[in-house]
Amino acid sequence: MTAKVFMLKDKIAIVAGESKIWTKPIVGALTAAGADVAILAKQSTKLTQAVDVARRNGRKAIAIPTDVTNPAQVQKNVNQVIGEYGRIDILVNAADIQFFQPFMDIKDTDWQKSMDYNLNSVVNFCRAAGKQMLVQKKGRIINVVSTLAERGINNGSVYCIAESGVLQLTRVLALEWALAGVTVNAIGTGWFEEGNKPADELISKYIPAKRYGKPEEIGGLVVYLAADATEFTTGQLMYVDGGLMSHA
Amino acid sequence: MAEQKGTLDGKVIIITGGGTGLGKSMALLLAQEGADIVVAARRVPPLEEVAAEVRQMGRRSVAIPTDCTDPAQVNQMVERTLKEMGKIDVVVNNAGLVRGARAKPMWEITDAEWREGIDVNLSSAFYCTRAVSKYFVERKSGKVVNVSSGEGFRGVRDNYMYCCAKGGVVQLTRTLAVSWAPFNIQVNCIVPGFVDTFDNQPPEYQKILEQYRMSRSTRLFLPVGHTGKPDDIGFITLFLCSDASDYITGGFFAADGGGLAGGFATTGYAPTVSLKEALA
Repeated sequence: MTAKVFMLKDKIAIVAGESKIWTKPIVGALTAAGADVAILAKQSTKLTQAVDVARRNGRKAIAIPTDVTNPAQVQKNVNQVIGEYGRIDILVNAADIQFFQPFMDIKDTDWQKSMDYNLNSVVNFCRAAGKQMLVQKKGRIINVVSTLAERGINNGSVYCIAESGVLQLTRVLALEWALAGVTVNAIGTGWFEEGNKPADELISKYIPAKRYGKPEEIGGLVVYLAADATEFTTGQLMYVDGGLMSHA
Repeated sequence: MAEQKGTLDGKVIIITGGGTGLGKSMALLLAQEGADIVVAARRVPPLEEVAAEVRQMGRRSVAIPTDCTDPAQVNQMVERTLKEMGKIDVVVNNAGLVRGARAKPMWEITDAEWREGIDVNLSSAFYCTRAVSKYFVERKSGKVVNVSSGEGFRGVRDNYMYCCAKGGVVQLTRTLAVSWAPFNIQVNCIVPGFVDTFDNQPPEYQKILEQYRMSRSTRLFLPVGHTGKPDDIGFITLFLCSDASDYITGGFFAADGGGLAGGFATTGYAPTVSLKEALA
């Protein structure tokens, strides 16, 4: 159920980037609020599952298999979305490849690839979709980051750097595009359930809410930041983390 | 030692809560660098001991018994300092009460407890700074060193007064820094993590503090694996009192064993996920 002022009826949203957790719940939330979606990520069952969710919600959905690390391909496929739907109202960058290795063990190629998936892909999509939004003089960009954009963790060098890169990109683009009607915000995510992977008991106790989040619990904030009602909110980071960042 | 030129030679520094714990460490380190020290706190015997130790180092030192939550006493302390020492260069607002950190459900906190917690950890810093404010501004020089806490930046379950007061110290620092930057007055803030000052505390609190030191939650926030020592805080104080910090204001200086840098997971949690797994 979406409050009337936050409805996204007939808005066009791109959900972009590689992520184990976020694609489906974000597509679910956007389409439940009335948006049509295009999902741009590499070909996988997740893509078809997300399309199914959208259609079950009675909305249009297309999946365009995309190498998100390839700027030319991202631009081409975003153009295809514009060709199909006529415009882009919302871009949600869901990129989230959680790569963790001791700093000294990370191979150069793995470092580069990780940065490509988590940071550079977001740059690619902001460029490609931003171009259209600037012409429209209206748009909503929502970058899903981890709370690790602001905190360190052992073995998390690449991931933490990439996430804080996305956070800073959020702030800078918000400023650059503030007068152009395009808002850019970030959602900071804490510990979330991932498929059937069991929750770590110690970590669960450590989270103020005493549990991991369910992926669909990000949905409300995505819709909120995508709505017309939030046009005065830009450059912000908002958390969905069960209180983690308040005490940690 | 006394003959060697120190970085704080001739400076007069007031340290509130200067008789024990962090304050004592600060007093001795600053005196070692040549500062004259005024220690102000409630309990007289430890105050006198610190002042005597400083004098033995060849520096001037006065112990002024002061309840820093009482503005009248604070004003008198500052007046007496000016009369006896001739000037004030730095105020270190260190007075505070960690034992106010005892957790309690909100409905059990009395008005008196709330006021005491806020008074001792926040209002005291305001009163002491206000007492020197006109003097500093007219003189167009001075430094204020506040002491907040990791708990001034993060919430702690059922820990209302300490967290609110120390968070207030953070904003007091920023507000003062902005207000007084044009007058060549630097206002900075130290952010201690878990620092072991327990030996200096009265015996009736030893048991609580011992539990605190050993508690799992304390260790969960300590990436370096151990609590800090008072000198860890004293060293930053020394830096912030010295000319080396003349262009630094509104800054926060943590010595917390890495506590604020982590926090996403418990200390020591170190996942490994290969890129292949991550992309699977």
